[in-house]
Amino acid sequence: MSMAKFLFRRTLQGVFVIWGVVTVLFGLRAVSPGDPATLMLGQGATQDLIQQVREEEGLNDPIVVQYGDYLAELVTGDLGYSWRSEREVEAMVIERIPATLELAIAATIIALLIAIPLGVISATRRGSPSDYGATLFSLLGISTPNFWLGLMLILVLGVWYGIPYPTLSTGSTIPVGIGLIDLPTGRRAVGFGEAFMTLLTEQSFDEMTLWLKHITLPAVTLGTYFTALITRLTRSGMIDELGKPYVTATQAKGLPGVLIRYKHVLRNTMIPIITVLGLQMGTLMGGAVITETVFNWPGLGQRLINALSIRDWPLMQGIILFVAVMFVFINIVVDALYTYLDPQVSIE
Amino acid sequence: MISDRVKSNLRETFGESLLPKLGLVLLTVILVMAMFAPLLATHNPTRTGYFHENGGPYPPPGFDYTTTVAQDGEITQVEVTATDEHLLGTNTIGQDVYSRFLYGARVSMLVGLAGVTLALLMGVPFGLIAGYYGGRVDDGLMRLADVMLAFPALVLALALIGVFGSQPIRVPDPIVWAGFAEGMPESIPIPGSVTIVVALVTWVWFARVARGEALSIRNQEYVKAAKSFGTPNWKILVTHVLPNSITPIIVLATIQIAVIILIEASLAYLGFSGTTLSWGYEIETGQDVLRTRPWVAMVPGIGIVLSVISVNLLGDWFRDALDPNIEGSERGA
Amino acid sequence: MSEEILRVEDLSTRFFTREGQVNAVEGLDLTIERGEVFGIVGESGSGKSVTALSIMDLVESPGEITDGSIEYRNRDLAEDLRDEHPEAVDGEFVDLLQVPDRVRKSLRGTSFSMIFQDPESSFNPSLTVGEQISEAVEVQRRASANPRLSRGVEYSMTSLVASKVLSSRKFVTRESHERAIELLELVGIPDPVQRYDEYPHQYSGGMLQRAMIAQALAGEPDVLVADEPTTALDVTIQAQVLDILDDLQEETGMTILLITHNLGVVARMCDRVGVMYAGEIVERGTLADVFDEHVHPYTAGLLGSIPDVEQAGGRLKPVEGNVPSLLDAEMGDRCYFADRCPKAMEECLEKPPDLPGGGSDDHRAKCYLAAHPYEESQALPDGYFENERAEEVTDDD
Repeated sequence: MSMAKFLFRRTLQGVFVIWGVVTVLFGLRAVSPGDPATLMLGQGATQDLIQQVREEEGLNDPIVVQYGDYLAELVTGDLGYSWRSEREVEAMVIERIPATLELAIAATIIALLIAIPLGVISATRRGSPSDYGATLFSLLGISTPNFWLGLMLILVLGVWYGIPYPTLSTGSTIPVGIGLIDLPTGRRAVGFGEAFMTLLTEQSFDEMTLWLKHITLPAVTLGTYFTALITRLTRSGMIDELGKPYVTATQAKGLPGVLIRYKHVLRNTMIPIITVLGLQMGTLMGGAVITETVFNWPGLGQRLINALSIRDWPLMQGIILFVAVMFVFINIVVDALYTYLDPQVSIE
Repeated sequence: MISDRVKSNLRETFGESLLPKLGLVLLTVILVMAMFAPLLATHNPTRTGYFHENGGPYPPPGFDYTTTVAQDGEITQVEVTATDEHLLGTNTIGQDVYSRFLYGARVSMLVGLAGVTLALLMGVPFGLIAGYYGGRVDDGLMRLADVMLAFPALVLALALIGVFGSQPIRVPDPIVWAGFAEGMPESIPIPGSVTIVVALVTWVWFARVARGEALSIRNQEYVKAAKSFGTPNWKILVTHVLPNSITPIIVLATIQIAVIILIEASLAYLGFSGTTLSWGYEIETGQDVLRTRPWVAMVPGIGIVLSVISVNLLGDWFRDALDPNIEGSERGA
Repeated sequence: MSEEILRVEDLSTRFFTREGQVNAVEGLDLTIERGEVFGIVGESGSGKSVTALSIMDLVESPGEITDGSIEYRNRDLAEDLRDEHPEAVDGEFVDLLQVPDRVRKSLRGTSFSMIFQDPESSFNPSLTVGEQISEAVEVQRRASANPRLSRGVEYSMTSLVASKVLSSRKFVTRESHERAIELLELVGIPDPVQRYDEYPHQYSGGMLQRAMIAQALAGEPDVLVADEPTTALDVTIQAQVLDILDDLQEETGMTILLITHNLGVVARMCDRVGVMYAGEIVERGTLADVFDEHVHPYTAGLLGSIPDVEQAGGRLKPVEGNVPSLLDAEMGDRCYFADRCPKAMEECLEKPPDLPGGGSDDHRAKCYLAAHPYEESQALPDGYFENERAEEVTDDD
């Protein structure tokens, strides 16, 4: 079977999964307490107005008809309007994607850069102090809730050791959040793309530095769990792999250690790990929700929490749907990568 | 149910390393704290107003601070020092941090254990039946599992809380009811909907593991033999398939307790748990005063980390001793 | 020419396991001459593979070489190390157990290489066979480009990262690629250019063993260690693989240390043989010494266990009993074979020295029978060792 055919089939499966997600979301909305029209209009709305909105939005139709309408809208790419702000959900989701993506990618990069060498060192020097250190770190990392970790990082680094970190004004409702306002200067940090463009066009590192300053703590907070998890997976996978006869054979032919560890053993260790990481993308998004709340990071997670607390279903659905699509997409990529990495797995 | 080989493996790995012992000790301490919270607590955890005479909350030892007060029309700096009365100080509304720490262990452990039990009850029968019978039931389960996995666990939990609400169920505290601990809260708030929600977002892992086990067991000779004697399927499931798939399920259950404790803490932190006697909630209240009263957020966080570590240590021990490759055993909140 | 290339003296390799200390190799002596095929033969569990791994420096934790010397003749290496490690150098010989790890590693592939028993698990499943052979070629290329042999092939993390970005920085070069194809052709693999790009699972067992020979030859080693090179193969393929080894040995004149439990293979390939039992070489000498003039009853037992095809319905006469556990605590200080030996005498309760065997000058045996004939009057009573063991068991309780 060709790669194109494989991708086609996996995409079809993905569409099925997305349909399932949509259906679950619709079901949740349907059984959730509270009348949508009231939620849309606020508590003070008159009965007449509420009835009028119910009629317009099709809320008086049978549930099957509502479901059909909902699916039909989604197929045409219409995510509806936020009940509260009355803006298009699509726009509200899209404007928040870059911040979350930057955070998630930065966290993943931190995790991979630290965890893989750490796992390799831990596995190749079993029983050494560095192995114990790595084991302890990874145990702590998978056991620490990231919102608490974020707070402790702010406390220890920022408050106790005075390492400068950007913060919102103390009068704000979220005094510990970092957000994107640089307090001393009052400047607003821009996203990576814009900062990078400034770097190119004006040869000024200012925006880039500001961006780095803002993203470091949240990215470390979000990345710690993954660093710990990947360290554990790499260590145990690597130990299994190192026991295989081919490793002795590569040693016997005199291959330099770096090549044995990274080109041969690590590569084979990563094959199963990549699948686990694909499935962990959901966890990464869940972690982003919390991290964004702690650091007042203007991403999708923060918006999702806001939408949840005011029961803004269309917005909530839009965000969750986006996350689910990302998850499905990443896992298709992972599967494709798997067949590339492991020659024994032919595409069935 | 659990073979002698498994038992001796467990014993062997337990003796080999310090970590399982540490996990067991930690977990025992936390469980004792949770169970006997009314006896061990020094104050009613919900009573407010334990403030220093200078106005601020009591700090724990080492966290003394100064505050400004108006005295005789003058504004002066005064020292607020720790007291033996409140071992870990008090929080922003003057509640005893140590007593709340003990009661927080209750909620964490209760949700962890009850959530996992519920998830087991939902996932294992479904998985066993799907794996044993195969066909449409199996296809249905696997597709459903795919859909469930596409939701981040925490996000799905939040959405479900939106549906169920987050009202806790109040159950009389047996220790207080029996008259052993006076002045303690008379009822335990059990975050019922949170328990259901965490079970709903984790059961699918149990279903997948149970299915995999049933799938391989149904082709074993002894199952075929039982079938040829005309043993009914439900009996084969109960007497052969379930006992033989129990080991990996135990490993998964242990690790999922840790996951559930973390989800509960996150929900409470975001304000969706419905009880204020939760470590996550306590951290949320401490975050506003992180700079000036850091202990309020620190103490409950340590509680979460220690309980999750203890469960993870036991999980690692079980996994090393029983089965190194269980899907879903590396999955967090 | 008859020049010694490898001199192993009093080599002991132990494994420190949970059950106790296992003496896998115990005071082993062995000399190998340049250009010969030396066979080590013994039952499984006799320590022959550990001997091979000890020479290759591939013994892994919990194993450790605890005693002895492995002296390797290499004039360049000796010159190279004379100043830095005078204690390890003796004339043209270098004691490999006294040089730093780095030097030991640098000899792998270029001075010593190894063929393993199971070709299917000895190749990395996710790289092409050709790539893996090219790596071995590249090790040789880079090592020979380096004037100081003891330096070995250096390859840093930075080079690895650079190779991911620039294809010109890849470890495997165009030259080694071409040489690998030549090697594949040399060991008789059809369509070598196409086969180069195939993965191990696309090869048959016999083909893969040939590929492994190609890989071992890539470094142009002084000594090739072949650990049971044919055991995992079909009988018909075994003969082909032995042919290839034989031809290559004749062409290149390399030295082979052949580890096997198969006396047929020994008879066919080897110039000299050592018979290994319980971590020791109990008898060694030329092929004729061991096959025709053997004195050790264990050698006799092994030879007796070859099915004699000429005898109708040839009976298999195995050596009765099992190889001892090699656990230090249970070994005692006697001839280790005494409990299985049909000719055990009272003096066998004391360890026999290495005695001349009566054949050629090289013929040695660790057995009192080499000094004097069997004396029935000295024989140990029947069931002597069973009783001894029974006593130990009751002691334990």
